[in-house]
Amino acid sequence: MSSNYSLVDGSKLIVEALVQSGVEAFVSYPITPANWINQYASQRFPTMTFAPDEISVAQWIAGLSSTGKLAATATSFPGFALMVESLNMSFMMELPMVIVLAQRLGPSTGSATVGAQGDLLLLNSFISGGYNIPVFSISNLQDCWTVTEKAVHTAVTLRTPVVLLTSKEMIMTSRSIDLTSLPELKKAEYDFYKGSEPYIPYDSDEKLVPPFLPLTSNEHQVRINSSTHDDSGTIKKATKAALGNTIRLHNKIQRRVSEYLMYEYDSSVDNQLLIVSYDITAEATREAVRQLRESGVNVSGLYIKTIIPFAKELMEIINKYENVIFAEENLTGILVKMIYGNNTPKNVFKVNKIGSMISPTEIIKEAERCLQAC
Amino acid sequence: MSSSLLVDKNSPYCPGCGHQSITLGLAKALESLNYDPLDVIVVSDIGCCGLIDPMLACHTIHGLHGRACALASGISIAVDNPKKKIIAIQGDGGATIGIAHLLEAARRNFNLTLIVNNNQIYGMTGGQFSGLSNETFQADHGLADAFTRPFDIVEIAHKAGATYSGRVIAKGDVAEKLKVAISAKGFSLIEILEVCPSYGVQKYSDIENLGYLEKSFVNANNVFTLPKNSQKPLISREAKVDSETFNHSVTKNIKLILAGSAGEGIQSAAELLAKAAMYSGLHVTKKGDYPITVGTGFSVSELIFSPEEIFYTGINEPDVLLVISQNGYDYVKNRIGSNTSTLIDNAVHYEQANISFSYDFKAILGKKNAAISNIAFWLLMNEPFPFTAFEKTVKESKHGEKLGAVLEKVKAIFDEIKLHA
Repeated sequence: MSSNYSLVDGSKLIVEALVQSGVEAFVSYPITPANWINQYASQRFPTMTFAPDEISVAQWIAGLSSTGKLAATATSFPGFALMVESLNMSFMMELPMVIVLAQRLGPSTGSATVGAQGDLLLLNSFISGGYNIPVFSISNLQDCWTVTEKAVHTAVTLRTPVVLLTSKEMIMTSRSIDLTSLPELKKAEYDFYKGSEPYIPYDSDEKLVPPFLPLTSNEHQVRINSSTHDDSGTIKKATKAALGNTIRLHNKIQRRVSEYLMYEYDSSVDNQLLIVSYDITAEATREAVRQLRESGVNVSGLYIKTIIPFAKELMEIINKYENVIFAEENLTGILVKMIYGNNTPKNVFKVNKIGSMISPTEIIKEAERCLQAC
Repeated sequence: MSSSLLVDKNSPYCPGCGHQSITLGLAKALESLNYDPLDVIVVSDIGCCGLIDPMLACHTIHGLHGRACALASGISIAVDNPKKKIIAIQGDGGATIGIAHLLEAARRNFNLTLIVNNNQIYGMTGGQFSGLSNETFQADHGLADAFTRPFDIVEIAHKAGATYSGRVIAKGDVAEKLKVAISAKGFSLIEILEVCPSYGVQKYSDIENLGYLEKSFVNANNVFTLPKNSQKPLISREAKVDSETFNHSVTKNIKLILAGSAGEGIQSAAELLAKAAMYSGLHVTKKGDYPITVGTGFSVSELIFSPEEIFYTGINEPDVLLVISQNGYDYVKNRIGSNTSTLIDNAVHYEQANISFSYDFKAILGKKNAAISNIAFWLLMNEPFPFTAFEKTVKESKHGEKLGAVLEKVKAIFDEIKLHA
């Protein structure tokens, strides 16, 4: 091991990566387990302030974003729940922003200091009408750096709020890491409108994303709208042009997913067994894969980092396998439900748990049971 | 006179609606204050008042019900330019659901003007009362016992710290009164009273019949400015030049739990141990576990040292348990296994028998020093990595000198015990 190792927690890397990727402003309301992120943010961001509640947080970061100041926040389910309407607003307005969601045990206020992976189905469905915003998931300490950068860039490129999904154990555990091994990050670049003709705020080309101008523009009038609107940004009932604009919001997220797809696929020599995981359970899965291979079992691991929308490339990998285990720290297997609905295929198995992290042993046990049964 | 703030004079409002005269008054006020349309940002709420956007030549942003003041606050935090004017427009309904936002805007004195078009009712949803609906108006509309005293948001904004707050009756030209609010530096609120022509009561076509009086207040509070912070990078990706390294003798990972109480320096002692292991070439993970009330009860730290990369950071059964006090022991005792080697303070009552060492850490070395003393004994007894690595991290810490002396004492005690053994 080189002497360049430092003891660092995920919260610190996420905050530094947000800044180095181009986020300028951070607004938050205190909540466990996102407190360390908020604490680091208050030391690091050029623009940082606390708001009196999470509705205010979501509105303030929208206000900041509408002036071209890219903004972020960190919260947990109770705070996120309060932000839902405002995030629908920012999705409709096409304002880039990053919401770091540190999962903890629910329902309701649950246990603030206990981790969980319970919010995925909410994230898949919280935009009224079944639209998605991109959701990125951090699977290890390195991801706190690189996945954060991808989340920021995607927010700006697609002009959308994005969620950076993590959980208590991921951001509050310190680890030794060689910081010199982390790649240099790039600041996200806005596609500004440069024309001399009047700016049509929601007019886009085949990229499906309109060029941006801030509300402080001295050249063109800017109209931003949360209600159903046409490309001029003025409110319209369900006219053809206005509905076309709304449908574009869906298409820009779905059709460009391969541009922001991140995953780690550790494939074995055969297609007998795949273990799929994300967030904190990815680490237990990596350990389970290591131990299973040491004992002679061929097994593959898939660690998902761009989790919503669920890309077809991921399904192609999953569908290659005779048996698939999904490991996630919740009661019912909500990633499985997100993918398969109520018709889980017979070759899909689940390792689920609440109240503490799933251990490698629990995954290994299920892998052995599954291989014996087949 | 600047260019016109109005692009469309056609009113979207019902005949006789006060919103139209407020819109015309706002445009006139901004024009006479010489605002360029592109230096004005209007933030409109949901409700009839939010239909204003297409009439204006300035920047417009149309958000959620009740949140226009909050959205405008975010814009105001971002815009540090005295040339720019931010104006939020809400109805009485929006000001009711979003009342907390106007309190915060007044308290922080964000640089913006909030116009509240109080037409007494929710016009878009069928004429319900809001928190700002006048009592007499309510009584004439509904059941005698249904009415409630309204908020006086002009007083509330003033008490919360607004630079300017005023009440105006929408009768004739309101431009001059709007100019006063718009010219204020910091948060200004202007409540403009009208009666919805569709759901109002005919006899109140003259709003003064409701008994309102115009009034205004000022505060001499500072306008919001962002606090400056250091903005120093939290990590450095530069290679280190002077880090001294040590060797370790660990072949299989070691899972260690340090268990004590709040105020015993458990978390900082664990940090020093983790760094010592790292300087010895080991991969390390460390996490704290303590109640939400951080100043009382147990304080536990879990560490893993490994020659290989560590993926899973959980500890079911520790290899090593260092117990400082009763709270910590009680919290972790169910995880003690047959292979757990325990170093414990003599003051702790325990049920488990596999004690490799016990000592009066607290009584002899002091409450604040017990954690690093216990760690030091474990290192001296087992030598997974050099004691000198721990000495280095301890000496480099905040109370390095004092704690360094404690380690010297521990070494002397350890040598004495070894001699007797």
